[in-house]
Amino acid sequence: MNPSRRRFLGSLGRAAAGSAAVGLLGAPAILRAETPKARVVVVGGGYGGAIAAKYLKMADPALRVTLIERNPVYVSCPLSNEVLSGEREMESLTFDYRGLSRRGIAVMGDEIVEIDPEKRLVRGKGGAVYNYDKLILSPGISFDFSTIDGMSTELADSTFPHAWKAGPQTLLLRRQLEAMPDGGVCAIVAPPNPFRCPPGPYERAAQIALYLSHHKPKSKVMIYDAKDAFSKQGLFQAAWKEHYGDMIEWIPAAAGGNIEAIDPNSMTLVGAVEDFQADVINLIPPQRAAELAVNNGLVDASGWCPVNQQTFESTLHPDIYIIGDAALAGAMPKSGYSANSQGKVCAMAVAAAINGQPAPVPSYVNTCYSILAPDHGISVAGVYELKGGEIVSVPGAGGLSAADADAHTRAIEVQFAIGWYRNITADMFT
Amino acid sequence: MLKTCCRSFTARLICLRSLRLLLLPVCVICLIPVAQAEGVRSAAMLSHTCAGCHGTDGASAGEAMPTIAGMDKGYLVKVLEDYKQDLRPSTIMGRIMRGYSDQEIAAIASFFAERPWVSTERPIDGELAYQGELIHQERCESCHADGGRGQDIRSPRLAGQWGPYIQYALETCRARGESCKKRQGAERVMVLEDAEIQALAHYYESQK
Repeated sequence: MNPSRRRFLGSLGRAAAGSAAVGLLGAPAILRAETPKARVVVVGGGYGGAIAAKYLKMADPALRVTLIERNPVYVSCPLSNEVLSGEREMESLTFDYRGLSRRGIAVMGDEIVEIDPEKRLVRGKGGAVYNYDKLILSPGISFDFSTIDGMSTELADSTFPHAWKAGPQTLLLRRQLEAMPDGGVCAIVAPPNPFRCPPGPYERAAQIALYLSHHKPKSKVMIYDAKDAFSKQGLFQAAWKEHYGDMIEWIPAAAGGNIEAIDPNSMTLVGAVEDFQADVINLIPPQRAAELAVNNGLVDASGWCPVNQQTFESTLHPDIYIIGDAALAGAMPKSGYSANSQGKVCAMAVAAAINGQPAPVPSYVNTCYSILAPDHGISVAGVYELKGGEIVSVPGAGGLSAADADAHTRAIEVQFAIGWYRNITADMFT
Repeated sequence: MLKTCCRSFTARLICLRSLRLLLLPVCVICLIPVAQAEGVRSAAMLSHTCAGCHGTDGASAGEAMPTIAGMDKGYLVKVLEDYKQDLRPSTIMGRIMRGYSDQEIAAIASFFAERPWVSTERPIDGELAYQGELIHQERCESCHADGGRGQDIRSPRLAGQWGPYIQYALETCRARGESCKKRQGAERVMVLEDAEIQALAHYYESQK
């Protein structure tokens, strides 16, 4: 806002002493206090939902905010690849919800299975009912095993972990790497677009190679990819070579990397052209929005949730908002930082709607770090705005770490990655 | 007129209705530039996107990320503009700041300048901090007055800032050489030894 306009509005606000132009200037406190407290229910306490709940309370402390999360603690997916290399313990990825409770948010331990948009309520697994005026879902992703013959949820839990939701499967994959003989092959099956954390499979390859290079240096990491290109590709490939020589090999779809089936007995991946054997198989399946969104009519033919990209309100059901990986959010990638940014835009839009104000003009950012070696970090940043109803990148902004950055810069980007993690999780949970 | 007619809540509502008629033409005029751009983004909307790295309301949870809450507005504008124009070297801030207009940068700077400064709370190596104080008094106090608590458009507050951030900032300035030399005090940073940088970082973090 330019100074002359700010001065104008400021004097107008004072002169109106309670404000005539409510829509333009914001509801005065006296009016807001008279409004019955609206109920906002947030389902899913991760990178999107925890932020939406907290920033709703910050935007309007009078709101009744309930956060419903099925797990008593949250385990962060970002930085969980470091558990595979042994650089990090699960404890440092684990958070509880006491900080949000202290902010006056009612945190309920329940798994929501049903949404009734007519009656404006959600139902928990045990039958508990939660009424809402506005519902925000940050449900995350689910996996589509149907494109890979022989694959199943059970096999993911027992034998071929995706470890794409941090938790028991992360530790299973770590144990499998520890049990693998020197000279063995660890296969990463990378999913087609779009999927959670676009640089994730390639950072994972580096973290696994970091462990193997110290303990099993004759081993290989093979990436079989459903795509022919990936996020930060040039930076990844240069770093793999620099730190791990020929240990990591990437097979794009065009070279037969697309996996069509899996044989658990012979530990074989069936590709379009040839078959591949491995000792450890980390199969990251194709993805879509979480079951809660799929089962309640909130996804379109793509398997993801269409939303008004200014507010994140579903275009299929009014008063239901969807943020994070499950949402179709224009140019934004499915990342923790995107979910954080969307949670804030959504919270401000919901608070405005409840207070009878127009939806605010949104601003969004994404920042993703990848740690490829203890002294080698890289990043991608994006700055976004709304244009014609679509989230688009601001021209000239954002982009990758420099390809020719010096060692000092690479090392500092690791420290920034860790600082990113400390701050984004503090933003969520304190 | 307003003071007299807006005393009670009911009177205010009546008064508001009549005022709205008066205000309407004015508001249409003042909204025109808004409609031409995609709209004005509020300072809070713009600034909340920074919290993922710099902490809620700019109070950093550590360690390489600086706290930016409560900093001098003019200093913040200068730094953010310098990032945008590539006058200040950075790993990522230049890429981000190129996404904002000068007015938006001023709004972001105001937002954080108005937030309370929050010093770190953790034990610091007292011996290192003592050595840092000696260096500070001799070479830094003239600009970073009052043990780094003072601040103005050219000098950021350092007292209570994260030590690791101060260390990286000094190391980076020293490593950049010529491209950092234009900054105030940079010639003094160029000659610092590693141990001196570490001591200064401990000293500033120890000052609350």
